Amino acid sequence: MIDRRQFVQRTCLGGLALYLDHWATSPAYGQDLIPPAPPIHVNEPAGSERSPLGMPGLFPGRVVEIQNSQAILNNRVSEPVIRQMLERALRELTATEDAREAWSKFVEPKDVVGIKINPSGAPACCSSPEIVREIVAGVHSVGVPLQNIRVYDRYAYEIDIGSYQTLVPVGVRVVGVEDRRLGVSGYDPDIYCEANFFGEWETRSYMASIVSSGLTKIINVPTMKDHSAAGVTGCLKNLGYGTFNNVDRSHRRPFSFTDPLIGVMCSVEPLRSKAVLHVMDGMRMLWHGGPLSQNAKFIFPAGILMVGTDPVAMDTIELEKIEAKRLAERAPSVWSRDPKSLTENGGEFYEDASKNLYYRQPHHIAAAGARGLGVSDVKRIDHRVLGAG
Amino acid sequence: MLLFDNARSGGQPPRPWRAPRKSLWQTRVEGWVRSAPVLQAGLLYVASQGGHLTALDARTGKERWRFKSAAPIHSTPSLSAGHVLVTSDDGTLYAIDSTSGAKRWQLTTGAEIWASPIVSNGTVFVGDADGRMHAVNFASGAERWKRELGGKVCSTACVAGQRLFVGTGDANVFCMDVTAGEILWKTPTVKGIDSSPAVANGTLFLGSLDFFLYAMDTASGAVRWKYEAELGISSSPAVSGDLVVFGCKAGMLRALNAQTGKLVWAQPLGQAITAPPVISGSTVWMQSGIVHALNLADGKVLWWARLGYSLQSAPAITDSAVYLTSMEGDVYALA
Repeated sequence: MIDRRQFVQRTCLGGLALYLDHWATSPAYGQDLIPPAPPIHVNEPAGSERSPLGMPGLFPGRVVEIQNSQAILNNRVSEPVIRQMLERALRELTATEDAREAWSKFVEPKDVVGIKINPSGAPACCSSPEIVREIVAGVHSVGVPLQNIRVYDRYAYEIDIGSYQTLVPVGVRVVGVEDRRLGVSGYDPDIYCEANFFGEWETRSYMASIVSSGLTKIINVPTMKDHSAAGVTGCLKNLGYGTFNNVDRSHRRPFSFTDPLIGVMCSVEPLRSKAVLHVMDGMRMLWHGGPLSQNAKFIFPAGILMVGTDPVAMDTIELEKIEAKRLAERAPSVWSRDPKSLTENGGEFYEDASKNLYYRQPHHIAAAGARGLGVSDVKRIDHRVLGAG
Repeated sequence: MLLFDNARSGGQPPRPWRAPRKSLWQTRVEGWVRSAPVLQAGLLYVASQGGHLTALDARTGKERWRFKSAAPIHSTPSLSAGHVLVTSDDGTLYAIDSTSGAKRWQLTTGAEIWASPIVSNGTVFVGDADGRMHAVNFASGAERWKRELGGKVCSTACVAGQRLFVGTGDANVFCMDVTAGEILWKTPTVKGIDSSPAVANGTLFLGSLDFFLYAMDTASGAVRWKYEAELGISSSPAVSGDLVVFGCKAGMLRALNAQTGKLVWAQPLGQAITAPPVISGSTVWMQSGIVHALNLADGKVLWWARLGYSLQSAPAITDSAVYLTSMEGDVYALA
């Protein structure tokens, strides 16, 4: 039992100091202009024992990918197809014969389970309600009452646009931690990350109370998206920046400290221990303009689902896919550091795939791997690709 | 009746188009606003996520009274016979005296309520997130009947004659008898429904998250026609004459011929549309991030303003003023 009044501080060094090797080996880093990240102080519960289910979880380095062109037709996601895809992928991940047995590796009847969605691109590209519904069904099949399942994110107004509150089964609660920049009432004052990136007046980011004390397990449902600052937004960013408040301050054009902040946030307890499974929604792949673009020309109906317990390995595979799609579309690499690609004009960014608002930070994934959250070396990732059959 | 009548026409007096030119007043209520303001007898009622129902003097913007509920309020208040009816996230339905702000009665349903209550012939009807439709005695607050519908009810119901219509989160449209809640017919769509129905001339109009706007026979539930949009439809349709007007989440506002379902005009507004359009005479008002006024006949944009940023609110209109709320809780009166 954790004494909720006891907390401990640790300090995380910035990405440049820890990951110099990665920077040096990246071909586009020759003229890097990004300043070094400041140290980040973390205040978290003292004496908390890390759960073996926590990141990187039961299957470090394993990513199961399944694709089915029938999963998304005419921009509509097919729930029956999703059901088959998710069950098959989970059985492969867990080496079990039965979907219920697979779910029971991650949750048990006494759990209060949070499903962390990503509604930030709603309505065009957000966590598919059809996938959320199938996750609810899987968790419920183990014996978790529907009343003990929460679908949540930080921003209530984005959840509303996605109509999640209508589409989840009766009994399941939908929780928005805050309205748009409403304040700190939904956050735990004792668990935070503190750093001064650009001289901002508020230097702390607090953990959402629903994560610190309202849930026992988290199933993460990120989308497969380009991100103008982080490079991509996947498992890690959806968890880190979707759990702590006041994260916008880590960007100031053209710079971003998503590395190392994303990885640091994901390493904070109890978030790290509670996030037991990641189901990446690649029904719609946003390959430029993320995370908010509604521009259909950058949204590709990929029909992909990926599952795993290792967010670093999953995001590494996601990064490869976004990068490949961008190259196929003749857009600059997410690793590009060409100052000529930068624009101050958001409208231009949302229309032109050669433009960006920041120097992207895709190496936040490897940085998180270096913190022990998972495997970022592609050669060491057990990437299993399943066909539609 | 929410938005005045079963056609959800907004109940605004038909007035010749005149663009707002100045701000009469501006104020801010406590808490964020994810519902529409309603206006009656010189008072503007605004419900907020802070759990407050605030009555403002429509002429000055001064607060007349404020009622505090125990939980956030998502729904647009309803007005009937000197009462404001409002629901909250803890599942409570309140009847508040519209002039004093005093609570007359409350009923706890046990589940979140996001739909607005409506009143017809002395009965209040409202659905909840546990999939139940409640009928409540307007005078006493006593429950008359409740009916399990299966999916979450975020759609605000509509009454026409002895029939009650509502959509549910498990994709069905229900028609019930108002006296006992007996289900008279049920018509499925393909995805959940949070749009609220409008009824005009024996036809029910309703959007679905399956991307279609449906026109159904109110007697049988048979689909007369359906029209496909680019994305899901949460916006509740409004009917005026031969036109049914609705928006979709792709940001397109459309007017269809109510009889045939044929497109009359379409106007992109740039942001997802989830709120209902409001029709006032020859003008359609639509809040979708910013506020637009369009010509009802052809969809031409007459006026727009970066005021009242909201995706869930709808303006209240009189012959002399337009009232708007923003998501952040700002309230504007324009003339």
